[in-house]
Amino acid sequence: MLAQSCFMNGLDRMPSAPATSADESHEVERFLREAERRALRMAEFSTGNRAEALDLVQDAMFGFVQHYAARPAGEWPPLFWRVLDSRINDWHRRQRARGRWLGWFERADDDGEDPIAAVPDLGEQGPLARLADGEASQALELALRALPLRQRQAFLLRLWEGLDVAATAAAMRCSEGSVKTHLFRALGNLRKYLEAYR
Amino acid sequence: MNNRPNEPSRLNEPARLGEAWVERAVALLDESTDALDAATLSRLNRARQAALAQRRPALSRWMIGAGFAGAALALLLAFGIGQRHTPSPAGAPVAIEQVGDADALASDDNLDLYENLDFYAWLDAQQQDGNG
Repeated sequence: MLAQSCFMNGLDRMPSAPATSADESHEVERFLREAERRALRMAEFSTGNRAEALDLVQDAMFGFVQHYAARPAGEWPPLFWRVLDSRINDWHRRQRARGRWLGWFERADDDGEDPIAAVPDLGEQGPLARLADGEASQALELALRALPLRQRQAFLLRLWEGLDVAATAAAMRCSEGSVKTHLFRALGNLRKYLEAYR
Repeated sequence: MNNRPNEPSRLNEPARLGEAWVERAVALLDESTDALDAATLSRLNRARQAALAQRRPALSRWMIGAGFAGAALALLLAFGIGQRHTPSPAGAPVAIEQVGDADALASDDNLDLYENLDFYAWLDAQQQDGNG
């Protein structure tokens, strides 16, 4: 995994002496500082609420430090995103239980759509091409929020976070085939939502 | 914040998909993290520090435990050395006394004595009554 190997290359430049606990804490802090903003945005796309997203990220940080910070640094990225994904899933379950889940967010992944119809036409410039940056950002955020949870997570972890298929599958606790399916559908749905954006 | 260690991977993957709009979407997402307000960044910082703080007490507890164990070991060693260098009241070497104790314990005579303690106590009482 390139992301992990880059991170490990950084560690390789460190002195060969055994790391002290202070060094380890510094490395963990650096890792969390690198990831926290994207983690917040990821949680925010799912909750639609910054305060709740901050709570989820804080929970994820606590869980990661408590359970996984002692693991080798190369294993941290999928583990951290796995903890956050778990927190986001829990949040969704709670919301469903409370009946506050909006109907149009609740689209099931297997909604009977023809997957071939979602294949993008690579000859087009793409749905964001006609939008200015501010407008495109808003359109993208709305489109991401409209995606089913698993599709959104596959898109964000795989393409934004840069995890490979295996690491994304580990983070989402599903098979690599499921990751590919979720990502394929996410790209198709995002394109559809963005094209419909006015 | 775009100074991430896995930047090349993130840029390559959308490009590999051959979709320029995905690359632009990723760039827009990156910009959205740069646009976070100070209050949110402060909250993130505090959350991170709070998460990291749970490691520090664990280290402190470990160090305190190790300190207590070290102190106890030092006390035991000091006590043992003190005992070894204290002369016995009779002036006999401690090792010889210990060998003598071991012999006394291993003696068959003493085993008989322990097995018949009640009899010797009764005998002693009879003798005292006779003297009185």
